[in-house]
Amino acid sequence: MTAAQMLGTSLLLAIFVLLAGCYGVLYCLARLRASRRFGRAAATAYVLQGLCAALLAFSPLDFWWKVLLLGSFVAYLPIPPLTWRLLENLHESGEQHS
Amino acid sequence: MYAEDPAFWRAGAISSTLVMLVVLAFLTVDSIATIRPGGANVPAYTVINKEIRYEFDRESNRYRPVIGEDQPLFGRVYSAEQAEKAMRLGKLVIQSRNCMNCHTFFGNGAYYAPDLTKAWLDPAWQQMWMPMTQAATREEAIAIFLMHPEKFPTWSRQMPNLKITREEAEALVAYLKWMSAVETNGFPIHFGHIQTNQ
Amino acid sequence: MFRSQHLALKYFAAAMTLFGIMIVAGLLASTNYVHDGFLLGKLDFSVTKMLHIDTMIIWLLMGFIGSVYWFVPIELEREAVGIRLAEVMFWIFCVVVAVVAAVFIFVQYGPATEMSLWFINQGRKYVEAPRWAAIGITLVVLVFIFNVVGTAIKAKRVTGIMGVLMVDLIPLFGLYLIAFPSITNMSEDQYWWWWLVHLWVEATWEILIGCIMALALMQLLGTSRRIVETWLYIEVALVLGTGILGLGHHYFWIGTPSYWLGIGGFFSALEPLPLLGMVVHAVYDAGAHRMKTTNKPAFFWVMAEAFGNFIGGGVFGFMMTLPQINLFTHGTQWTVSHGHFAFWGAYSCGVLAVIYLALQKSRAAQQLDGAAWKWSFALLNIGMLGMVGALLVSGIAQAFYERAMGGSTLQAFIEGQTNVWFVQGIVMRLVFGFVFAAGYVVLMYDLLTIGKKRTAAEGLRARAAGGPA
Repeated sequence: MTAAQMLGTSLLLAIFVLLAGCYGVLYCLARLRASRRFGRAAATAYVLQGLCAALLAFSPLDFWWKVLLLGSFVAYLPIPPLTWRLLENLHESGEQHS
Repeated sequence: MYAEDPAFWRAGAISSTLVMLVVLAFLTVDSIATIRPGGANVPAYTVINKEIRYEFDRESNRYRPVIGEDQPLFGRVYSAEQAEKAMRLGKLVIQSRNCMNCHTFFGNGAYYAPDLTKAWLDPAWQQMWMPMTQAATREEAIAIFLMHPEKFPTWSRQMPNLKITREEAEALVAYLKWMSAVETNGFPIHFGHIQTNQ
Repeated sequence: MFRSQHLALKYFAAAMTLFGIMIVAGLLASTNYVHDGFLLGKLDFSVTKMLHIDTMIIWLLMGFIGSVYWFVPIELEREAVGIRLAEVMFWIFCVVVAVVAAVFIFVQYGPATEMSLWFINQGRKYVEAPRWAAIGITLVVLVFIFNVVGTAIKAKRVTGIMGVLMVDLIPLFGLYLIAFPSITNMSEDQYWWWWLVHLWVEATWEILIGCIMALALMQLLGTSRRIVETWLYIEVALVLGTGILGLGHHYFWIGTPSYWLGIGGFFSALEPLPLLGMVVHAVYDAGAHRMKTTNKPAFFWVMAEAFGNFIGGGVFGFMMTLPQINLFTHGTQWTVSHGHFAFWGAYSCGVLAVIYLALQKSRAAQQLDGAAWKWSFALLNIGMLGMVGALLVSGIAQAFYERAMGGSTLQAFIEGQTNVWFVQGIVMRLVFGFVFAAGYVVLMYDLLTIGKKRTAAEGLRARAAGGPA
C-alpha cells in the first residue's frame, strides 16, 4: 500500500462509520418528528454509506476485509429500527411494571 | 416478547463474556509460547552475538528480521547467562529512565522521540554517530551517545542526560539489538535498509 | 444525605483537582512540541507527559469510585458498610497521589535497580506509579470492594445493576496486579500490560461507567429499573462480546503470532456497531423527554457522552484499526487523536454528568441551570474537538511522511516532525488546549456555585416549609 492509498483508504473508513452515525441519528429524528424529510435524509445517508463501501471495494485492502466491510454495511441497516422498537416496547412494558 | 425480558439479555451477557474469555485463554497459552525467548517469534537472548538484518520476504509479503553470521557485541561473545543478565539490566534501564514516556517500543509508548523497535538497524548510527563520536563500531557509538546525549545533539529536539552508566549503556545496546530481531509482523514497514557490515 | 455521599463529594473534589493538574501537565508537555528544549533537563517531556496520563487515570478512577459511593446508599437504601475505613482510605489515596507526583517531579528517575521500581518510577506507561504506591492503590480498591459488597450483604439485596457492578469489581482489582512485575522480555511484558490497559479501559471501565450511567439515568430521567437493567445487560453483552477479543488490535506488532491481525481487526471492526445503538438510545431519550429535565448540565453531558463515544471511539477507532492501515498509523499522533477523543467521550463526560447530579441533590436545588455550565460545556467540547482535529492532521502527516514514505528511521522521524502539516497541527493542538483549559476554569466556577443561589420562588417554598431561605 502506498502512502496515498493508505490515506485515502483510512479516510473512506472514517466516512463509512460517520455516515452510519448520520443514518442512525436521522432515522431517530424521522421517527420522533414523524417526518418524511428526515426519513429521506436517513435513506440518503445509508445509500452514501453504501457508495463508500463500494469505493472501498477498489481500495488495496485484502479481500476478507472487504467482505467484512460489506457485512457490517448490511448489519448497520437494522440497528436503528431494531433498537428503536426495542426501546419503545421496553418503555411500554416498563411503564406497566412500574 | 423475550427481547424485553432482562433475564434473556443477562444470559446473553454472561454467555458471550464466558465464550470470549475461554477463547482468549487458549490464544494466550499459544501466544505466550510463541513469544518466549527462543520461541517462534522472539529469538533467544544470545541472538546479540549474531548479525541482524531486516529484509523483505516475498512469501509472507512483509519485512522480517533475518539472523546472519556471528557478530560479536562490544568485541565479545555473550554466554546464555551473560546475555540474560544484560537483558535484565537493559530492561531495568528502560523502566527506571522512563524511556517509554518519550520513545515507543513496538510502537507503544509516547510519540515525542523515535520508535526503538528496530533502532539497532538505523543507518544513522553509522552515517551520523560513528563519525560524531569517533567510535569504531556501531555499538560503541550508541553507548557513547546514551551516556552523553547532550554532547551529540541530532536536531533541535534533544534527549536529556539521564546519567546512564557505561555498564547500563552496554546492557541497553544489547537489549536494542535483541529487540530488533523480534518478528513483528512487518512493523515498522521498510525500516531504513542497511546491510550490517561493519 | 448519607456519609457515603459526603465521601463521594470529597472524591469528586479530588477528581476535579487532578483534572486541572492533568490539563496543566498536558499544556506543558505539548509546549515541548512547539518549542524544542522547553524545560529540558528540568522538567522533561517524559515527566510532564507521565503526569498528564497518570492524573487522567487517577481522576477518572476517583470519579468512578465517588459515583459508586454516591449511588450505593440510594440503590440499597442504607449507609455503606465500613464507611469510616473508606473515609480513612480516601485521605491515604490523596497522600499517595501527592507523594508520587512529588517524586515524579523532583526525583524523576533512578539507577537501573529494583529499588527504583519500588520507590521512584516503574516506567511502564499508565502504571508508572512506584510499587509502594501501587500497593496503596490496591488497598484503596480492596476497601472500596469491601464497602460495596458488604453493603449489599447487609442490605440482603442485590439489584441487577449492583450484581453487574460487583462482578466487575473483580477484574478491576485483579487486572491491576499486572502493574507489579517487571518482565525482561518486552514482548511478554507488553502482552500482559495490554491486558491491564485494554481490559481495564475497554472492558472493565466500560461496564463500570455503564452501571454508573444506569443509576444516573434512573435519577436524571426517572427511567424505570426494568429498562435500564435490560439496557445494561445488552451493553455488557455487546461491549464484552466485541471488546475482550478486540484486545487483539494491540497484538498486531509486539511479536505475537500473526493470527492476531485477523482476530484483532475483525473484533474491533465490530466495536462501532453497539456504539451506534447507544446513539439511537440517547436520541430516543432526548426525544421522549423533549429535553425537559431539572438538571440540564447533567443531561447535556450524558448526551455528549453518547456522541463522543461514537465519534471518538467508533469513527476515529475504525479509521485506523484494520492492520493494513494500522501498520502506518500505529504509534503516531493519529493514535493520540483517537485516544484523546475516546477517553473524553467514553468516560470524562459521564463522570461530569454524575457530578452535576450529585451537586443538585447535595445542594437541594430544584433546578440546575444557568449560563456558566453552557460556557464550560461549549469551551471544553470545542477545545477537545479542536485538539483531536489538529492531532489528526499531524498524525496523518506523520504516518504519511515518516512511516509510509520514510520508513520510520531517525531521519524519517525528523522529516515527519518538521513537516509543515505536522507543525501546524501541533501548534493548533496547543491553541485548542488553552481553549479547553479556559473551559475547565469556567467548569470549576460553575461546580462551586451552581445551585447554591435559590430562586425567589424556591426561597419562599423553603421558608414556608420551615427551612433556610
